[in-house]
Amino acid sequence: MKYSALYLLVGMTLVSAGGNMDAYMSTLEKEARLADPGFNGFEYSRGEKIYFSKHRGKRGKIVSCSSCHTENLSASGKHLFTGKVIKPLSPFANPQRFSKVKKVKKWLRRNFKDVYKREGTAQEKGDVLTFMMRRK
Amino acid sequence: MQRVRMWTSIMFMGLGVSLVLADGGYGTNKAMASGAEGRQKSSIVTQLYQNECASCHMAYQPEFLPKRSWRKIMKGLENHFGADATMDPKDQATLSKYLQENASDAKRTSHAATKLTRSIPKHSVLMRITEIPKFKREHREIPKRLIKQEKVRLLSNCVACHQRAEKGLYGERDIFIPNYGRWED
Repeated sequence: MKYSALYLLVGMTLVSAGGNMDAYMSTLEKEARLADPGFNGFEYSRGEKIYFSKHRGKRGKIVSCSSCHTENLSASGKHLFTGKVIKPLSPFANPQRFSKVKKVKKWLRRNFKDVYKREGTAQEKGDVLTFMMRRK
Repeated sequence: MQRVRMWTSIMFMGLGVSLVLADGGYGTNKAMASGAEGRQKSSIVTQLYQNECASCHMAYQPEFLPKRSWRKIMKGLENHFGADATMDPKDQATLSKYLQENASDAKRTSHAATKLTRSIPKHSVLMRITEIPKFKREHREIPKRLIKQEKVRLLSNCVACHQRAEKGLYGERDIFIPNYGRWED
């Protein structure tokens, strides 16, 4: 009896702390399908375009995701304005990446606003995540 | 049965404590902010400060600006010097409180912070440490090319020259300017 309660406690702690990326991706998928009934899954190539395409960003400068995160996702990046080093974006080079949903959501919100001056749609977020998580 | 009930209540107490710690549990119990628990809590807050603010720039010591400045900064995170720095509302509340409680006019400050913040005009709400009059005076002799260089870029990049800035140490012996060397007045 006492052990089962303990396991339950440990299990609950793990689930709440983990916040799992697969669950987040399927939430985005549902949202994308709701917005567009013809939606047919996230695409690497669309994500690649979102990552590399240039836009006049929040600061008035022409920027893309790669301005700070570089074109090589396995290399360290550099903050375009402050110069602070940014650890590699690719999970192949930096296993910490995409392990916390809260962090992923925060940076998608912040960086879409920085580059696109608006939040990303569910489909855009899923596409660019698909690209970033697979690209070496 | 008695035993089982006892164990269950211990479990729930444990869960309660971990929940309080997990959300920062900040300000819910003043008495807790002492001793080991206080230290643990303050390290959770500084970790949060690192995570939310220091991805893009150094985690400036809050004692370098007064409360009114931090209040204004934390209210404008949608456009934080041209970047979006928004965060979870609960985290934002926790950090605002932390910044208020450690601002230049909230507690005894370090020698370096006192020296600078004394020069802030009473009614101005500065948004940047680099705008503090004494900060400007202290840095005016540095040639532009040493600031503009790739390894420094901006005066807000403290660690570029103050090697122990992240520890709050800005003394002359810790200054090393890239492509120049030690700085002596």
